[in-house]
Amino acid sequence: MAASTTAGGPRPPLWRDVRVLRVVGQIAFAILTVAFLWWIWGNLTDNLQSRNLPTGFDYLSQPGGFIVQYSDVTSSTPIWKVILTGVKNTLLVSAVGIVLATVIGVLIGIGRLSNNWLVRKGSALYVEAVRNIPVLVWIIFFFSALLLPVLPVVEESVTGDLFVANNRAISVAGPTTPSGGAGTLWLLGLVAVLAGIAVAWWRTRRNVRTGQPHHRVIWGLLTAIVVFAIGFVVAGVDVGLDRPAREGFAVTGGFALSTPYLGVLIGLVVYTASHIAEIVRGSILAVPKGQQEAAQALALSGFQRMRYVILPQALRIMVPPTANQYLNLTKNSSLAIAVGYADVMQVVKTVIGNGRPAPQNIAIAMAVYLAFSLTISFFTNLYNRRIQYVGRS
Amino acid sequence: MADTTADRDMAAETAMPGPPDPPERPQVARLTPMEWVRENLFSTWYDTLMTVVFGAGLVFAIYRGLRFLFVTGRWEIIDRNMTNLMVWLWPNRPDLLRPWVALFLMVAAVGLLAGRAVRVAATVAEEAGEPIEELSWRENALRVLGRFWPFVMLLVFIGWYSGSPETWLMELLVVVDLLAFRALALRLPKAVADRTGLIAGLLFLAAFGTLTWFGGHGWDDWGGLMLTIFLAAGGIILSFPLGVGLALGRRSSFPIVRTICVTYIELIRGVPLITLLFMASIMLGFFLPSDFNSPAGVTRALVAIILFTAAYVAEIVRGGLQSVPQGQIEAAQAVGLSPLKQTRLIVLPQALRNVIPALVGQFISLLKDTSLVAIIGQFEILGVARRITNQGDFAGQGLLAETLFFAALVYWVLAYTMSRESQRLEKRLGVGER
Amino acid sequence: MSTETNYDLTRAAMEPGGTGEVMIEIHDMDKWFGDFQALKDINLVVGKQEVVVVIGPSGSGKSTLIRCINRLEKHDEGTIVVDGVEMSDDLKNIQEIRREVGMVFQSFNLFPHLTVLDNVTLAPRQVRNWPKAKAEEEAMSQLERVKIPEQAPKYPGQLSGGQQQRVAIARALAMQPKVMLFDEPTSALDPEMIKEVLDAMVELAESGMTMIVVTHEMGFARAVADRVVFMADGQIVEVGTPEHFFENPQEERTKLFLSQIL
Repeated sequence: MAASTTAGGPRPPLWRDVRVLRVVGQIAFAILTVAFLWWIWGNLTDNLQSRNLPTGFDYLSQPGGFIVQYSDVTSSTPIWKVILTGVKNTLLVSAVGIVLATVIGVLIGIGRLSNNWLVRKGSALYVEAVRNIPVLVWIIFFFSALLLPVLPVVEESVTGDLFVANNRAISVAGPTTPSGGAGTLWLLGLVAVLAGIAVAWWRTRRNVRTGQPHHRVIWGLLTAIVVFAIGFVVAGVDVGLDRPAREGFAVTGGFALSTPYLGVLIGLVVYTASHIAEIVRGSILAVPKGQQEAAQALALSGFQRMRYVILPQALRIMVPPTANQYLNLTKNSSLAIAVGYADVMQVVKTVIGNGRPAPQNIAIAMAVYLAFSLTISFFTNLYNRRIQYVGRS
Repeated sequence: MADTTADRDMAAETAMPGPPDPPERPQVARLTPMEWVRENLFSTWYDTLMTVVFGAGLVFAIYRGLRFLFVTGRWEIIDRNMTNLMVWLWPNRPDLLRPWVALFLMVAAVGLLAGRAVRVAATVAEEAGEPIEELSWRENALRVLGRFWPFVMLLVFIGWYSGSPETWLMELLVVVDLLAFRALALRLPKAVADRTGLIAGLLFLAAFGTLTWFGGHGWDDWGGLMLTIFLAAGGIILSFPLGVGLALGRRSSFPIVRTICVTYIELIRGVPLITLLFMASIMLGFFLPSDFNSPAGVTRALVAIILFTAAYVAEIVRGGLQSVPQGQIEAAQAVGLSPLKQTRLIVLPQALRNVIPALVGQFISLLKDTSLVAIIGQFEILGVARRITNQGDFAGQGLLAETLFFAALVYWVLAYTMSRESQRLEKRLGVGER
Repeated sequence: MSTETNYDLTRAAMEPGGTGEVMIEIHDMDKWFGDFQALKDINLVVGKQEVVVVIGPSGSGKSTLIRCINRLEKHDEGTIVVDGVEMSDDLKNIQEIRREVGMVFQSFNLFPHLTVLDNVTLAPRQVRNWPKAKAEEEAMSQLERVKIPEQAPKYPGQLSGGQQQRVAIARALAMQPKVMLFDEPTSALDPEMIKEVLDAMVELAESGMTMIVVTHEMGFARAVADRVVFMADGQIVEVGTPEHFFENPQEERTKLFLSQIL
């Protein structure tokens, strides 16, 4: 065949050549963007220098000069460590919030589809009442209008056998190992879980081979409990109860859940659960009716229809928006700043208030949230890819 | 089209686009009340258990709510501060005429738009060849009440607790204003009606002008509900061009343009609004030349809101762009339209119509998010609600519950009504069905 | 390829029909989608006022071939010349060819947000910069030509499939193109609507329009085509008059295909 000529023949003038136009257009756009960023960067360094503020991140190793309640941060702790405590607090409220919001959200979402009129309407009332009010209002409400006025001041703490509650914190008792051996217990727990999984796996195999029902969840759980109990007795680790107690203005012992933490947590959970409930309901309803009918025609029971046909399909629909709600919850935890919970945003704000440069500090806070966001969306994408229908390529 | 982040979050604020409430059980034969109760509340033992537990909780919540509303709540703080909650320290109190006129102008614009929406819905039905249902006057009134009872409730609450007859009169006038302009929109000749959006825009502009021009006060002096609505509406309108540009950039075939747009969108969506608000409130001065006269508080908040919202609008518009079939672009190419005209005449009109409900959802979301400017010291309605509990007469009396309740009620009425209306619109426009 | 003696594919493909003047010239065209070669060594010359029908099994590259002619797909190798203008990366040439080449799609691709009249007047107004009155006059005459002038104020969603496809033909004709491309125009239609679209195409062919038609309607090919092109696996396998093609096919692939569909 003819010599391989590139399609297009004679070169057109430059200003009409689509290939040239593409390249020139992009370069122009890139140059404009870079120029803009350059301008901003120049202003930023100029302004920092003219205000005698550091332009680097060296200040991070200097002491922060303030303390953070319910943490080991003292006024001599270096700033980077203080910020890290803030990150830890953000994680603490987000992780617990995500778990609780999921549980409550799923329950209410299913409740909206219940056959029980009262449950159905009550769930709908909850969703509609909660999600149309800003999360910040909820957080302020739970902290400033509910927890603070309802709980007594420290001197008049409500003290029970296992808890001490006042408007600074609710301290609850928890297990400790006074004579050491916590590591052994964790190891024991791990072994028990592995044993449970192994038994569940064996039950599944047996079901595949014989067709007998597997009841693998019950078997697995029982195995894990029994293994742990036996191991516990054999190891003889001394487990005690760490009870909180009040002495004057201080509460010692136990695990302290500070009221700002609880306010943020409850606000986030209440608000996010209403959104998750809507997602759950919408996803279950979005599974085509024909699927339900086909499953019925195959004589699957109500539970089996839900477990093997409806839920797997609803889950595919549910995951991306739910992950997005997790992201929102994490980002919304920054509103802790309104009630003084020492999350990363609050810490950063305090650091800035102590005369440290704002640009670097806010950049750090943004980077932290960005890292959380990217992590969550990375795992979502991973899950999505796994769960996607295998379609025609 | 596997993309880096969850694509569906645009639906986050409008409800999941799933079907509406599950239909009540088909009533083959009419049940007696007893039968109905048995069927719906006590059909099995666990049903009974749930009814009892749930019912107890619900009764308790309602009891506490009513008690708070009618017995323990000290609503004089709302009454005394109604003006503060609406316009905060609008500088000259005798000058309250301006906010009132602005309100009437805006309500007129909303009325026009509502009437226009009815007409557009009729056209869409016609496009799809569906019959238009005719309703009697009475059915119509009932339906409207069913849709807007939250607003009625809010008006009654305000009227009741303010305890002055003028309030009732003004509220009546607002409603009359709304209905009159809605009726007007339905009767306008087609040539004028096609420009309803423009007219409404001019009315909004006039409202804005009433507040600011001829010796009025710029938005840096604004506060209360007025500021809330201004930040939400201004934010969504001003972020729209940037958002559309970013969406087109993200869909562009130019890799460099695409990368820059994606980076911006993902960066902004990955951080909380509060970080941007902080950036604007304490850092804007760092980014601008030192001799530049940095703008004041509200402007800074608005800049942050625009930069933030644009990323979300971009993702919504991108969804709309993706919903336009490739065949539409091919047909536009085949008849010889230039790329610019393909986008302007064929792609964008279809894409934007498809995303109206999602944009309303974003507006609702933004309306709620404007509460965050309270944290950076602006007195929008939540900021006012917190601040007035420190007034001399009320300080230290724990009245935050009352003021928060009022702010929450306002947010709720606005957000709930808009999300309901947006779902209706979605159904009417048949989005996702073409 | 073939061992038949008196059949010359190159001659059959490169001899323009119609008036004998050349309208479209395609030489040695290749088209790749990634690693997949969609078109191989395509050579075809179409004469003025000629009607060429392209047939072949699905996936044989028929649609890709005509989509390359107005640059809905960019060809990789070879040349395409339409009425003396070469298809290249030159923006001006691309626009010039698109102005002169009308296209009708399988799925109509009418603009749903515009009325029928606006669909038809859009391109003349925006591309040819005609005044509104002139564009509407031309649009109405084209709608009359396809026998649906009364539908002008409606929206595409209100029309039947056959009516929509006729609007699509009118939309393409309103630009007064020199060539019309049809990409399986009847494949998405219910059987009872196929005839009204084919009638419009027959009328168009008789009026002397240069047409390339990808279709499975063998009756149309027999009645209207000047030449029939048979494609398989991205190559032109056989070209000939309808008589040659249907009565006396030379290539085994062609015979096999015809035996499957007739």
